[in-house]
Amino acid sequence: MTDDTLRMLRDSAADFAKLDAARVRRMRGIRPGFDRSVWLEMAGMGWLGVLIPEMHGGSGLGMGAASIVAEQLGRALYPEPYSASAVLATLTLLHGDSPDLKQDILPQLAAGKLVAGLAWQDEHGGLDVAQCGVRASDRDGRLVLEGTSRFVATPDADAFIVSARGARGLELHWVGRDAEGLSCTLEARADGSASARLSFDQVSSSAETRVATGASAETALCLAIDHAVVAASAELLGIMDCALSMTLEYLRTRVQFGKPIGSFQALQHRAVDMYIQKELSRAVLGAAVAALDDPQCTPERRAAAASSAKARASHAALAICAEAVQMHGALGFTDEYDLGLYLNRALVLSAWLGNASVHRSRYAALMEMA
Amino acid sequence: MKYGVAQQRDWNALADQDFRALVQEEFETHHPLHLRFPPRRLRWHENKSWFLRMAAKGWIAPGWPLEFGGMGLAPSKLLIFLEEQERCGIARFQDHGILMVGPVLIRYGTDAQRRRYLPPILACEEIWCQGYSEPNAGSDLASLRTEARLDGDDFVINGQKIWTTLVQDASHMIILARTDKQAKKQEGISFLMLDLASPGITIRPIRDIAGHDEFCEVFFDNARTPASNLVGGLNKGWTLAKAQLGFERIHIGSPKLPEYGLQVLLSVARARGMLQDPLFRDRLARVQLDVVHLGDIYTHFAAIVARGEPLGPEVSLLKIWATETFQRIADLIIETAGDCGGHAGPVNLDGADIELLAPFYKARPATIYGGSNEIQRNVIARQVLNLPG
Repeated sequence: MTDDTLRMLRDSAADFAKLDAARVRRMRGIRPGFDRSVWLEMAGMGWLGVLIPEMHGGSGLGMGAASIVAEQLGRALYPEPYSASAVLATLTLLHGDSPDLKQDILPQLAAGKLVAGLAWQDEHGGLDVAQCGVRASDRDGRLVLEGTSRFVATPDADAFIVSARGARGLELHWVGRDAEGLSCTLEARADGSASARLSFDQVSSSAETRVATGASAETALCLAIDHAVVAASAELLGIMDCALSMTLEYLRTRVQFGKPIGSFQALQHRAVDMYIQKELSRAVLGAAVAALDDPQCTPERRAAAASSAKARASHAALAICAEAVQMHGALGFTDEYDLGLYLNRALVLSAWLGNASVHRSRYAALMEMA
Repeated sequence: MKYGVAQQRDWNALADQDFRALVQEEFETHHPLHLRFPPRRLRWHENKSWFLRMAAKGWIAPGWPLEFGGMGLAPSKLLIFLEEQERCGIARFQDHGILMVGPVLIRYGTDAQRRRYLPPILACEEIWCQGYSEPNAGSDLASLRTEARLDGDDFVINGQKIWTTLVQDASHMIILARTDKQAKKQEGISFLMLDLASPGITIRPIRDIAGHDEFCEVFFDNARTPASNLVGGLNKGWTLAKAQLGFERIHIGSPKLPEYGLQVLLSVARARGMLQDPLFRDRLARVQLDVVHLGDIYTHFAAIVARGEPLGPEVSLLKIWATETFQRIADLIIETAGDCGGHAGPVNLDGADIELLAPFYKARPATIYGGSNEIQRNVIARQVLNLPG
C-alpha cells in the first residue's frame, strides 16, 4: 500500500465524514443507535472492507487504512460502530477457522448488508479472553449456549460472534440476533449510545455456525481485540484533535479583561501540554499501526504496541477534553455547545476495551515476559 | 588546504545497519568501561584519552563536511552515530568547538578563520566554551550587556558571562557581545571568538547543588580580542546564533537520559523489593510508557532530520517531554529509595552501589538549559498553536 493510497483515503474520509452535530444529538438514546443508510455509504467508500482480503470482497489495505478511517470518524463523532463491527467482529471472523462462514459472511460485511458484533466479555470486563461469561455445552445431542456477555458495543447488530467456554476450550459461535433464547438488555453510555448485555438461555448453535475452536479461537480473538484497541485509539486521536482545535479557537477569540484569554501565559502553557499529549498519541498510534501491519510482528509485540497506543490515547483524550471544558468556562459544560459531545465520546472510548491503567498494566506484564 | 584526518571510507555509502554495526563495534571495543554513564560531567583530564583517539581516527567531528575534516555524515548517519554514542554511555567533553564553533566558521567564517581555528579543534588541542548567558540575560538573552568596543585592530570587551560550562577545560571562548547600544536589542549583537589566556579575563567556578563545579562565571575587564575574530559581520551575532539551533534541538530531546533514569529506578526498586507492589508497578508502567512514547515521537522528528528537512518550532515539545519525563523518573527514584533517598554518593542497596541522586541532579538543569521549558512552551504557544501575544 503506497503513501498515495493512504493520502487519498484520508482526504476522501475527511471530505465525507464531517461533523453533523444535529445528527449526533438526534441519535442519542434511540434504537437503532446508528443509521443503516450511512453504514451502506461507508461500505460504498470501501471503508468496511479495508481489513477484509480481496478474495472476500474487501481491499485488504490493512490497519494503516483502518486507523485513518477511524480517526476521521472520531473527528466527526460518527455513531456507526466502525471499530466495534468493521474491525473487531470482522477480524474475529476473518481469523477464525471456518472457510464456509468466511466465504458466506465476509462479503456481506464488506458490502454493509450485514452488521456483526462481538460478544466476548463477562460481567466484569477486562482484557482476558479466557474470562467469558458464556458456556457452550452438549444438551441431548444439541449444542447450546448459556450465560451472559456484557459490554457488547453493537446492540443493533444483525448477528453476534459469541465467545463461549466449551469442552474444547474457547469456542466462537455465530448467533443471529433473533435466535431463540437470546435476550438483550441495554446499558446507557455517556455519549447516548448503548452497550448490550446479552443473555443466552439455551441458545442453539452447531458445528456449522462455529467460527473457531480452541487455540485458533483464542488467536483470532486476541488479534481482533488488539486491532480494535488501535482503531479506538485512532478515534480518540480524532476526538482530542477536534477538542483541542475548538479550544485554541476559543482562546484566540474569547475576550476578557480587554484581551483574548489565549494571550495569558497560564492558559498558553496548559494548551501546550494538551498539544503535547495529542502529538504523543499521534506518534504512538503511528508506531502501533506499523507494528500491526508488519507481517513479522509477534502476538506479544502486537499486544504491547496496541496497549501502548491505548494507554496514551485514553489518558490524553480524557485529559484534553476535561481541560477543554475548563478553558471554555461554563459554556463548555452546556449540552448546546459541541465540546461536550467530544468529551462524552471520549469517556466511552477511553473505557471501552481497556482504559489507560488497564493497558499500562498489560503493557508492563508483556514487557516482563519479554 | 586539507583539514583533519582522511576518512577510511565513504560512510554514507554504507547501509544504515552496517554503519551502525561498525560504529557500535568501535565504541564497544575501545571506549573504557569505567567512563561509561558517569554520574557527573567528566573533566577533560578524565576522558581526553578517548577523544584524542577519536581525533586521531578522524571521528571527532561526525557532522562536519568531509572537506573540513569531518566524517561528512548525512543526517541519518549522524543520528546513528550519536545514538550509538549515547547507547554506549559515552559522555560529552566540552565539545562546543565541534558542535558550535566549527559549524559556524564553516558556514559564516572567512578562509583565514577556518585555517586558523578548525585544525586545532579537530585535533582537540584547543577546547572551546560558549558564553551566552549573563546575570541579567537568561531566557531574555537578547538583553545581554557585555560590551565589545572596537579600538584599533582589537575589540575591547567589558562585562560578565555566567553559567558557562566547563570553562576550566577550555582554552577559547565564543561570546555574544553588544556592539551597538543604539540598535534594537537583537540587532546590536556580535559573535566574537577569544583566547581565554588574554589579559583581563577572570574565571570563577560556581559550585552547584550537587557539589560539582561544572559551570563558571567569566569576567571581562578590558580584555582584548583581534577584530579578525569577529564572525559573520558586525551586529550579525543574533541571526548567527539562532541559525545554529537546528540539530541541537532534537538531540536535547533524545530518550537516552530518561532511559538511564529508568535503569537506576529499576535497580533501586529491585533492591528495595518494590517490583511486586501493585501501586509501584502502576507508577513504573506510567513512566516506562512515557519513555517509550518519547522514543516514538523522537523517531518521528529523527525521520524529518534524516530526510534532510528543517525542524519546525514543534520540535520544542520533544525537549519538554524528554526533560520532564526524566524529572518524574528522578523523583520516583528518590521516593522508591525510602530512607536512603537523601544519601549522597553511591549508596549500597542490596549489594549494589547506586548513585541515587545523580539522576535527580542531572534532571534539574535539563529543564533550564537550552531554552527553559517555559520558553519552549511560549514558542509552541505562539508559533505552533497561533495563540495571541
